[in-house]
Amino acid sequence: MKRRDMLALATLAATFAATTALTGNAFAQNKKWTIGFSQVTTIEPCRAQFNKDILAEAAKHPEINLIITDGEDKTEKQVADVENLIRQEVDALLVSPKESAGLTGVVQKAIDAKIPVFVLDRNVDTDQYTQFVGGDNELIGRAAGEYAMELLGGKGKAAGNVVEIWGGMGTQPAHDRHDGFHEFTDKEPGIKNLLDQQSGDWKQDQAYNIMANALKANEKIDLVYGHNDPMAYGAYLAAKDAGREKEMKFIGIDGLPDEGVQMVNKGELTATFTYVTPGAEGLRQAIKFLNGEKVEKTITLPTQKITSENAAQVLKDNGL
Amino acid sequence: MSALKLISRTKLYWGLIAIFLIGVLGSPVSSKGNNIFLSSGNLLDVLRQVSTTGLIATGMTAVIITAGIDLSVGSLMAIGSVVCAMLLTIPGDTPASLMGIPAVGLTALAIGVLATRFVFANRAKMAAGEGAHRHVQLDAMRGWIVPAVVGAVLAGLALWYLLPQVETKFGVLGVLIVAPCVCMLFGALNGVIIVAGRLQPFIVTLAMMVTALGIARLTAGQNNAVLPVYTGSNATEDFEVLRSLVFGVVPMPGLFFLGAILLYGAVLRFTPFGRYVYAIGGNEEAARLSGIASGRVKIATYAISGLLAGVAAVLYVAQYRQGKPDAGAGLELDAIAAVVIGGTSLMGGRGSLAGTFCGVLIFGLLSNILQLHNINSNLQLVLKGVIIVGTVLVQERNAGDLLGFLRFGTTRPAQKETVAPERPSQETRNLGGNANETP
Repeated sequence: MKRRDMLALATLAATFAATTALTGNAFAQNKKWTIGFSQVTTIEPCRAQFNKDILAEAAKHPEINLIITDGEDKTEKQVADVENLIRQEVDALLVSPKESAGLTGVVQKAIDAKIPVFVLDRNVDTDQYTQFVGGDNELIGRAAGEYAMELLGGKGKAAGNVVEIWGGMGTQPAHDRHDGFHEFTDKEPGIKNLLDQQSGDWKQDQAYNIMANALKANEKIDLVYGHNDPMAYGAYLAAKDAGREKEMKFIGIDGLPDEGVQMVNKGELTATFTYVTPGAEGLRQAIKFLNGEKVEKTITLPTQKITSENAAQVLKDNGL
Repeated sequence: MSALKLISRTKLYWGLIAIFLIGVLGSPVSSKGNNIFLSSGNLLDVLRQVSTTGLIATGMTAVIITAGIDLSVGSLMAIGSVVCAMLLTIPGDTPASLMGIPAVGLTALAIGVLATRFVFANRAKMAAGEGAHRHVQLDAMRGWIVPAVVGAVLAGLALWYLLPQVETKFGVLGVLIVAPCVCMLFGALNGVIIVAGRLQPFIVTLAMMVTALGIARLTAGQNNAVLPVYTGSNATEDFEVLRSLVFGVVPMPGLFFLGAILLYGAVLRFTPFGRYVYAIGGNEEAARLSGIASGRVKIATYAISGLLAGVAAVLYVAQYRQGKPDAGAGLELDAIAAVVIGGTSLMGGRGSLAGTFCGVLIFGLLSNILQLHNINSNLQLVLKGVIIVGTVLVQERNAGDLLGFLRFGTTRPAQKETVAPERPSQETRNLGGNANETP
């Protein structure tokens, strides 16, 4: 029995030793700058693209050591990640917050620790950070709204029934994409909104269910506006299963090469509006700053309309 | 007791020490030559990071010792965080105040009644002498009238303190009363359904997890699923105290966690209530037949579990400056993992809060170490899973058993006969002890 317990302890020790050995020399690199990037999650398509963009940019800069952490879509985890990066004394911190309020405190902590902070994609409620880089969702919503108006008959004459599928109700991007879109469509008396704030939570399957219900309840639907491409695609699938996908147009947002652009290219979505991830630009700006150059306080990334006309070209540009 | 036996009995602590040593020895060194892991800032970060899970695991431990489980704590925390954030930032009648004020009144009334009856019953038992415990009957005066008056007075006092705050915004003490009370009522409801309906705790608390999530979302409303709390601008300054550092070093949430674990640990170890909790987990039928009001004890453990989820919720709001319906998502599983790593048996009757404390810290330090080494986040999940199983294996089995299993292929060596204790023996309740070792 005593021997067994000794063995148990030995097993324990061996497990831990193996873990340490496995992970021991991650720090042995000798690079000029260490930059930490706290990402919300890695399993959402747009976040995966975000990481891909920043990694591609990092590959162009051999002088930097980029640490990416994964918040597992939890505020607590992301805050712990940032605290950890602060303890590691990174030279610059890039953070793409899960929510504004939840990350404000820890971003302040990093600022207090004299680490330059670059806030990407979603802002925090302080203005002492070094720079904010993000797309403007309201601007993208406006572009989508203007195009929807054209599709439905043009300014002053537009008419039709619109289904809008919201992203997460509590997220600012969803509200911005809604507000921008309605700046155009609300001025058209002929446009009727069929649903009252139905949230698909950015997910294809939930959008499918919302659309399936909308199809049963409404005989005429002219246009579907999804706050992102997967949701627009989910709505398309629902319409297709009901045999009605030809009757209506589908507009999405995000325009990831391997996702929305492909859908447009196949004719499933009518159009998508790119939301460029701030990954590459954010890292470029951080390196610029570390090299002693001045950077602007805010950088707004532009959007691009992708329809069947330019989808093939965009795919080619992205090597697909 | 031989040294080896001592080592095996305290192996949980050795696990904690081992992981700590690995943290120290393997730690990267900062540019100024400091050991990053060992820096007080880092260790205090860990204490703060684990305090939410820790508070929840504290309540969970007692529930699991009664052979129950509470899956609803994450959602209860969500309700608590929404209620807390709403009370802090929105004055007047809100879903939070409409739910919170009656909840506090009800809780105060119940506590007043129960506490008074408890005192009277104890005095009556004293008077009746040893052996007559079960037969004590209180007369109408002491049984109902006085407790009701005390309860009403207590409820009145609570409302007198809280009602004026509804018109303005709540202060820190106000939310520290309301949010835990709301969560405690939901927890008590769990217990009542489990006991009165004689249902499996798993399914009842699973249902509560879904229900409570819905209630949290309804309370928050569709349009503001996240309720930001900025002390000084949309909430009162004094709420700041909950994320402050006490004496400039120790994070406040950590103190709450340590306080809860010490207090509840003392209750489980030194009071009759604690002994009942272990007895019910060991053999509920036997406990009931020997005169323990097992239903009430179980309801109490679920209520306290809810209460601690409520406290965790307020600390969450303070720390992350927001309340939201997905605040505690998945936390119940982290808490259960920490409890089991701490040597508490899911079969009930065995375990301790000292163990849970170690389990929570092992979990927290592990995350910290993996992160400090910048392990790929997907690999981190794998490693965490492996280490949870490894730790529990070492906890529950001797390595010899496992080796024997491998050697003989199909048959396991016969396990020692362990009789579930009707009353916890000194061994079982030895903090951090291990009933497998009972000679």
